[in-house]
Amino acid sequence: MKVENLRKRFGDEEVLKGISFDVMRGEVKAIMGPSGAGKSTLLKCIDLLVKPDEGRIWLEGVELTDPTVDVNKQRRKIGFVFQEFNLFHHLTAIENVMIGLRKVKKLPKDKARELAEKALLRVHIDESLWNKYPAQLSGGQKQRVAIARALAMEPSIMLYDEPTSALDPQLTGEVLQVIKELADSGMTSIIVTHEVGFALEVADELMIMVGGRIIERGRPAEVVYSPESESTKAFFRKVLRVEGTTR
Amino acid sequence: MNFWQDFLFKLVGGVTVTLKLLSITIPVSIILGIFIGVLRVYGGKIGVLIANFYVFIFRGFPLLVTMMIMFFGLADLGIMLEPFWAAATAIILCSSAYQSEYVKTAILSIEEGQSLAAKALGMSSFQEIVYIILPQAVRIALPGITNEILYMILYSSLAYVIGVSEIFSVAMTMNSIWFRPGEIFGTIALIYLLMTSVASFAFRKIEDKLRIPGFERIR
Amino acid sequence: MTNIQSLLKYLPFIFEGSLWSLGLVAAGLGLGFTIGIFMSLGEVYGPSYVRKLIEFYTWFFRGTPLLVQLFLFHWSIFPALGLRTSPLETSILVLGMRSGAYQSQIFRGSIKSIEEGQMLAAKALGMTTWQSAFHIILPQALRKAIPQLSNEYSIILKDSAICFILGVMEIMTRTRYVTIATGIAFIPYLIAGCLYILLTYLGAKIFDTIHARVKMQGLISG
Repeated sequence: MKVENLRKRFGDEEVLKGISFDVMRGEVKAIMGPSGAGKSTLLKCIDLLVKPDEGRIWLEGVELTDPTVDVNKQRRKIGFVFQEFNLFHHLTAIENVMIGLRKVKKLPKDKARELAEKALLRVHIDESLWNKYPAQLSGGQKQRVAIARALAMEPSIMLYDEPTSALDPQLTGEVLQVIKELADSGMTSIIVTHEVGFALEVADELMIMVGGRIIERGRPAEVVYSPESESTKAFFRKVLRVEGTTR
Repeated sequence: MNFWQDFLFKLVGGVTVTLKLLSITIPVSIILGIFIGVLRVYGGKIGVLIANFYVFIFRGFPLLVTMMIMFFGLADLGIMLEPFWAAATAIILCSSAYQSEYVKTAILSIEEGQSLAAKALGMSSFQEIVYIILPQAVRIALPGITNEILYMILYSSLAYVIGVSEIFSVAMTMNSIWFRPGEIFGTIALIYLLMTSVASFAFRKIEDKLRIPGFERIR
Repeated sequence: MTNIQSLLKYLPFIFEGSLWSLGLVAAGLGLGFTIGIFMSLGEVYGPSYVRKLIEFYTWFFRGTPLLVQLFLFHWSIFPALGLRTSPLETSILVLGMRSGAYQSQIFRGSIKSIEEGQMLAAKALGMTTWQSAFHIILPQALRKAIPQLSNEYSIILKDSAICFILGVMEIMTRTRYVTIATGIAFIPYLIAGCLYILLTYLGAKIFDTIHARVKMQGLISG
């Protein structure tokens, strides 16, 4: 994937001020930064859930920002995991995973079910939970089902928008574990997160976003322990203070 | 023929016509109401304008006035509708306007995230509305819609005014022959009470069947 | 052409009907308000036999059409009670009783939505249930109910058209006369419809003003 000079304003405020980066197949990128830096907007722009004002995005050679390109078709190749899960309330867990396969990919019911079951098992969601409705699941279970839902579509890249921020601390681990396993198995991923330890362990590159710009990027260990820019240092000082310590 | 024989005989005819009227107006107005509700949210500038105007008129005009227009008014313009169809059209127009209100509110109450998730999977707007938004919106709007159905049952009596031989018209005919208003209108009242009570009971059963665990909790 | 001219002559006649319609509506709303308040208090705070009676009353008035109610009361129930009511009087009474059934549900809802703490505080001061209900709960509940009352106004206004069947000289009756007198139907009814919309709008504005005024007195928003 290639992102070039992405810009977005909301009203008077310019939230993305010219973001550019490349993602190689199999690479795992982490994005961190203070709230309001535009990280969520960036991810949503990549999936074209929000329309960027300027800039271009390519995925596997296809320019997503080209107006003649069928956006819905391209979105199938991008898996998106939301902070608030956004599981469909009126469908059971397995139905949630199946619906994209049935309606968007037009697969027959049994094939869809087969793929859905595989995806759910991959995120460690046991059969006993498959027929439960979202309201009956814990936060961690909901998020893992959401990951399965995106995964079942067999995307080329997974985007995670603060996947654990809405979770109780005890449930964060199970979700991060699943994301790590997927990344280790070669799934190209971009993760917006506050979990420094996770970034250190899993990501190939860490980008720090402040005020709509990427102010620093590099190998996670370098960025965290020997940052170059003052803003990065300030950011980690705050984060470190809040977390107590990095791992 | 004695009074009750005459009455019961005529009632069978009247109830049949009322049920025929309801069997058309209820399904059509629900579907139309959902369609207009969707149009008011997703219709784009023109769609929203047209839909809102439609609702403005048909919620603003009393049902009686709409009925008169459908029968007498259109006749003026050369369109002669049979009383039954004029009444059916009027009820459908009026009720769908009210129902679209419930549907619109229900759709707007669904959080954006549902829509985003649908798009993220690659669904088109049409798929998103039909498979994700409407199944939830209709459940939310159900109490309002079933309420409207009860109104349709009761206001079907207005069709008498333009000459439809439904239940109330039977009462008026009987009363003009026998003049026993207590028994006549009392019985008629009981019939309507029976219909609305049965309908309410059916609605509760339907609501139970459609219930999704935790769905109300989220709202 | 002469038809249109005669129609124009009759327009004031139709518009005058507004006074009658509004009179019907105001009286009906007022009666319904009184009935509704007592019934809602009875339903929330009263003993179970009172609740059963109220349930029955509500079931009857919400389960039968207005047309049936008008005729039933005018030709059967009121005469049986010895009352010889005029069409106008019957209409007001029936609209009022009917509205009372609906308003009691509105007030019941808003009374129940006032937190328990209010009642507890009132009782702690030594008030009886009845006193607390009347002086503390009700004022708040009524303010909360204003939007729904506005809606009720709109409903009664449209229902008042049905009273033409008893011959009350309101908008609908007059419009019918005009259609017969002039031979045109479409335009008069269209005008009548727009008149109802206008009156609904004006009424809604009045309710909005009341709502805003009452809110400003620093009370819990309704």
